[in-house]
Amino acid sequence: MTILMMVLTILLPAAGALALKLIPGLDGDRKRLYLMTGCVLLADCVLAAITALCGDAEWTFLRLADSLPLMLKSDMLSRFFCVFFTVMWTVPVLYSYRYMEHEGHDRRYNMFYLLTLAALNALAFSGTAVTMYLNFEMMTLLSVALVLHEMTKDAIAAGLKYLIYSIAGATMGLLGIFYLATNTNGAVFVPGGSLDASAMTVSPTVMMIILLITIVGFGTKAGMFPMHAWLPTAHPIAPAPASAVLSGVITKAGVLCILRIIFYVVGAGFIRGTWLQQTLLTLSLLTVFMGSMMAFRTDLFKKRLAYSTVSQVSYVLMGIFMLQPTALTGSLLHIIFHSTIKTTLFLAAGAIIHQTGKTKVSELEGIGKQMPVTIWCFTLASLGLIGIPPTGGFISKWNLAQGALASGTGIFSWLGPVVLLISALLTAGYLLPVTIHGFFPGKDFDYEGLQTCECHRFMLISMILCVAFVILGGMFPGAFTAFFGRIASSLM
Amino acid sequence: MALLRNVPFASILACMVISVISMVFRGRIAKVLSYLLTTVLLAASLALTWYFVQGNDAFVFTMGHFGDPWGNELRAGLLESIMAAAMSLIVLAALAGGSYMIRSEIPDGKKNLFYIMADLMLASVMALIYTNDLFTSYVFIEIATISAGGLTMSRQSGHALASTARYMIMNLVGSGLCLMGITILYGTTGHLLMGSLHSAVQSLFENGSYHLPLMASLILLTVGLSIKSGLFPFHEWLPDTYSYGVTAGSALLSSVISKGYIFLLIKLYTRVFGLEVVRASHICILLFAFGTMGLIVGSLRATQAADIRRMVSYSSIAQIGYIYIALGLGTQEGVIAAVFHMLIHAFGKSMLFLSSGALIQASGGASDFISLRGSARRDIPAGIAFTVGAMSLTGVPLLGGFVSKIYIAQAAIPRGGLYVVIVLLALAASTFLNTLYFLRTVITIYRSDANAEATRHAGPVNSLFLCAMVILNFGLGIASRPLYNALLSGLNMFI
Repeated sequence: MTILMMVLTILLPAAGALALKLIPGLDGDRKRLYLMTGCVLLADCVLAAITALCGDAEWTFLRLADSLPLMLKSDMLSRFFCVFFTVMWTVPVLYSYRYMEHEGHDRRYNMFYLLTLAALNALAFSGTAVTMYLNFEMMTLLSVALVLHEMTKDAIAAGLKYLIYSIAGATMGLLGIFYLATNTNGAVFVPGGSLDASAMTVSPTVMMIILLITIVGFGTKAGMFPMHAWLPTAHPIAPAPASAVLSGVITKAGVLCILRIIFYVVGAGFIRGTWLQQTLLTLSLLTVFMGSMMAFRTDLFKKRLAYSTVSQVSYVLMGIFMLQPTALTGSLLHIIFHSTIKTTLFLAAGAIIHQTGKTKVSELEGIGKQMPVTIWCFTLASLGLIGIPPTGGFISKWNLAQGALASGTGIFSWLGPVVLLISALLTAGYLLPVTIHGFFPGKDFDYEGLQTCECHRFMLISMILCVAFVILGGMFPGAFTAFFGRIASSLM
Repeated sequence: MALLRNVPFASILACMVISVISMVFRGRIAKVLSYLLTTVLLAASLALTWYFVQGNDAFVFTMGHFGDPWGNELRAGLLESIMAAAMSLIVLAALAGGSYMIRSEIPDGKKNLFYIMADLMLASVMALIYTNDLFTSYVFIEIATISAGGLTMSRQSGHALASTARYMIMNLVGSGLCLMGITILYGTTGHLLMGSLHSAVQSLFENGSYHLPLMASLILLTVGLSIKSGLFPFHEWLPDTYSYGVTAGSALLSSVISKGYIFLLIKLYTRVFGLEVVRASHICILLFAFGTMGLIVGSLRATQAADIRRMVSYSSIAQIGYIYIALGLGTQEGVIAAVFHMLIHAFGKSMLFLSSGALIQASGGASDFISLRGSARRDIPAGIAFTVGAMSLTGVPLLGGFVSKIYIAQAAIPRGGLYVVIVLLALAASTFLNTLYFLRTVITIYRSDANAEATRHAGPVNSLFLCAMVILNFGLGIASRPLYNALLSGLNMFI
């Protein structure tokens, strides 16, 4: 039963994509096209919810070699990610219906949109490292179509950059998987890991170097330094709803892979207190700081948001690398809150482009008078990203800081929170000017020339849903914290 | 059942007979005869494979009535029959999938020449697969060389003639080295049959006598066959030959003939010298190193290519490098990985050549990347085939190329130390470079800014064969385990 639900959750979006391809006459009929996409996604949400209520299960569906099974597995983490992916994939559809009017090629866009979700769900339910690699590659190849959407010269260059970085990263990951598979019985995911440090074919130092390569490899998708350079190029070039899911959701797929490698294959004990942990923490903190700095210095609106993603996803990674239950809880919280916040921000940026054609932050004076609801959503989401209570961003950062302080990682246990604070200041520095100049353009501003051009209510609904979640989730975080706490404590 | 034992000899004979008969016919009839021949051969090889899967042991077929040490023998086992089936399938697909290219690229009056050469080439490859003595091997090495030259030449353009001349010079050097190797081996052991040679070589190696001639013949044979299969640094003839000849001919050259040579080399290593002797001679290390360099150099040159067929040709050099890396590990796992990758590459590369030919035709005959823009929209099956082939060789999971990468890496891990590091780094580098050139091309052919007047030339049958190859490539990736196990038991029959 669980297996069936799991497979259905994966296959439904793929089947939906096939239907979009085959049903004639959808090209001219945008309404029907988006209605179908929306229905498929809503149905998939229901399936994901049912799967989430079912218990654990695993199913080996193919063996590449006798020691390399391909397995689907439903455990707490995979159920969480599946629901998360599916829901976050559904929210922007209403928005896309209006936004994609001026982009064209709706059918192709929706097909790849659905296919990418299928790959993401398959990634969530992967039961071994090899299966995970397989679905990771699938996801890369399918989601590149979203980056390529406009097929302009810039879009193709960005798409290639995305492909090359992602595949290079995945190959680095594969390299580690080869070693891990030989040392851990096919790299099947077991909570707490199954690497036996006393019976390895290579010395612990070599293993740690390999692990570093693996984690940096999968960190490519999460925009971790030094493999982050594709992200600020590729995310802004996509259409706004695609940027939203690329930044908000697909980066989390990289996080999922790192979680799986660290906690389900290797085990936290092997890494804790070693130079590997320190290196990883250094890399993630560097990324947090660098991303914020770059965002602060960038004027292009969507690119600024993309740099902000680089920074924020590394908050999540830092929480993971602390190898401490509270920090891990914070990471998981930050996954959902960053995702909803970043979706809102990108959707708002897209709405501004859609309505006014302005792409730079410096051009946005008085935008709050023109698009009040959009900018309100933007502002609330910004407050969430900065980490001001009662938004969700505060809860996740609180847990991250608490966990860091209790992690016993020496210098990092206080350096972490310090960098978080500095980065929060920078976040305020790069997000709030939009609000400030938007609502208070100054005395010399020509108020007469302003025309209200609020975007369509369909677009607003997507944003408002996300913002509502950020605020309500921040006010009543109990259920989330408890659930993530359970996952975290089962791993350490 | 006993009838099946005639399959090896009958396949070679049938190819030779058909190729001779075709000389008096026009292109059309020669074409039909070739199709019939390959279909029958495919069926017979599959029947033979089935015969071995039933658990029957390998057998030897004696030609003529001379006994040891002069006889001529064929030998068939599971590995041979699988290879024979794969090769005849590829020839059939290349001929049927590329028939319209043959029609348009070869001048009238020369069309039957192409089919004669294709039949002859199939004969030689079958012989290289089944042979059990060095004399037959040498004869068919030469026939393979000549038929390959004929295939390239039949296009009759200036470039094609020049590259044929270049091909012949390089390949005759290779054949000459092979002949020297065989002569020395015969001189030291007095045998030509592989079975007797094996025991002779083993005993010579154990008591240490005639060490130098033994090593010399090993080296000469290896170098000769690696020149002919296009291993770095003997690869310079390859890109011209593959990119100026008839498109369907390039598919045959890269997927069938070069695989025949490598298969013969594997046969010599396992059945004549024995893997211990090969490992002890350190020639493995050389093959491993050259394979790695070929992988890198081929991929780098492919990224610089300005023309799709040259790109695909350079990627062949890289893929041949993979095969030699696996072979250079000098272990049984390595050999299986090499054979497996041979099959993957044969199926993937013939599909790539055919589909790139179709894309070129759908772009008004121009093969540069700018003219190719949007060609996949004009010829949809070719676009899909190219995409699948490119992804397979890049190593996207669920396709064959990924599985063979895993097998190569797994074969390297027991060797330990530097081998593993180099193999994994080489795999990573090649994946990276493959992404760079193959996936970039995939994006190019799907771009929408197309030259509108060009249309596709492929007929429905041609496209059908391309689609069948796409399915086959997926099948190889998904159902790799039965194939791997079959190769394993085939190799066990071998030794």
